[in-house]
Amino acid sequence: MSTLPQLYEEDIHRLDDALREFIQRSDATTAMVIDKGGFLITHQGDSNSFDLTTMAALASGAYLANQTIANLVNEANFDSVYQQGETHSMLVTNIDEFCLLQVIFRAQVGVGAVKYHAGPAREAIADQLQLAQQRDPEGGLDLSVLNCADPSEFFKRKE
Amino acid sequence: MAIINAATKELQLKIVYYGPGMGGKTTNLAKVHENMQPNSNSKAKLTSLATGSDRTLFFDFLPVEAMTIKGFKTKFQLYTVPGQVIYNATRQLVLRGVDGIVFVADSQYEKMGENVESFKNMKDNLKTLKLDIANIPYVLQYNKRDLPNVAPVEYMEYLLNSGPVQVPAFQGCAHKCEGVFETLNMLTRLLLGKYINKNAPQYA
Repeated sequence: MSTLPQLYEEDIHRLDDALREFIQRSDATTAMVIDKGGFLITHQGDSNSFDLTTMAALASGAYLANQTIANLVNEANFDSVYQQGETHSMLVTNIDEFCLLQVIFRAQVGVGAVKYHAGPAREAIADQLQLAQQRDPEGGLDLSVLNCADPSEFFKRKE
Repeated sequence: MAIINAATKELQLKIVYYGPGMGGKTTNLAKVHENMQPNSNSKAKLTSLATGSDRTLFFDFLPVEAMTIKGFKTKFQLYTVPGQVIYNATRQLVLRGVDGIVFVADSQYEKMGENVESFKNMKDNLKTLKLDIANIPYVLQYNKRDLPNVAPVEYMEYLLNSGPVQVPAFQGCAHKCEGVFETLNMLTRLLLGKYINKNAPQYA
């Protein structure tokens, strides 16, 4: 199974550029690139008001649940999840096989504008992820300094 | 699968607690949450999507940070799946992108059938995701060892751990936090071991 590519600093900068431009154009509050497994990859906008890590995990679950429903009704085009709220709204939309764009925006901002400006952002992000995938699909990280013989130090219980 | 983010110097890994319903998966996460020595700036938040009677409906989620290796923070995202048979579609969703699994078995004699069925279900769901249990680090936890009607460990080993490769197994009483950290730390060891001795660092 191919997976999300390992990302260099340059990749993240490109993704951040795309998110910044998207936020500027759409007037969104926060935009995140998340992995469909639930990881937050990168984000731009307001990160202090929200727990982005948990939001990413929940959004990927909600999106994938909708995909499963789509399969059950033989629908191929459930490619986004939208929730309108009283203060904030949320849009989660597909980027590629592995990633999603999650957007939080004020309820006064029209979802149409957010969807419209999300298009180019999704393309730019997908292109960069594809570049990263082609560069090194089997990338890993050298953790050879780690002493894995003693696992007791990884997570410590309170005394 | 693991995400290595060179910009934020983070290694992110996903661990899923799997097993039959009412076996103690959520209790494991709750005890990690309650008892973990804080390692970073703020205490991790446990998020549960549960029914009114506290049965897991979608998943429980706990993000935790373990240590810094070569300047990289290792972040783990711990998930549970709903154990009840009817929630299989949800279990498949939660397994997506999994790096390591803790299989929490219920030690009570009458639960052996459910343990075996759940273990088979886990392998089937991994196959659906084009993953093979042989390539995913996992450990077993024989939970509820404090109950009077438990099966012998040797019998549980025979049922769940008698394949070509024997994996680490721990006895636990999750509600007393016994075996909880031992299980998680062993899986972490196996997981990080996967990344050791790979040749090139992936950051510029």
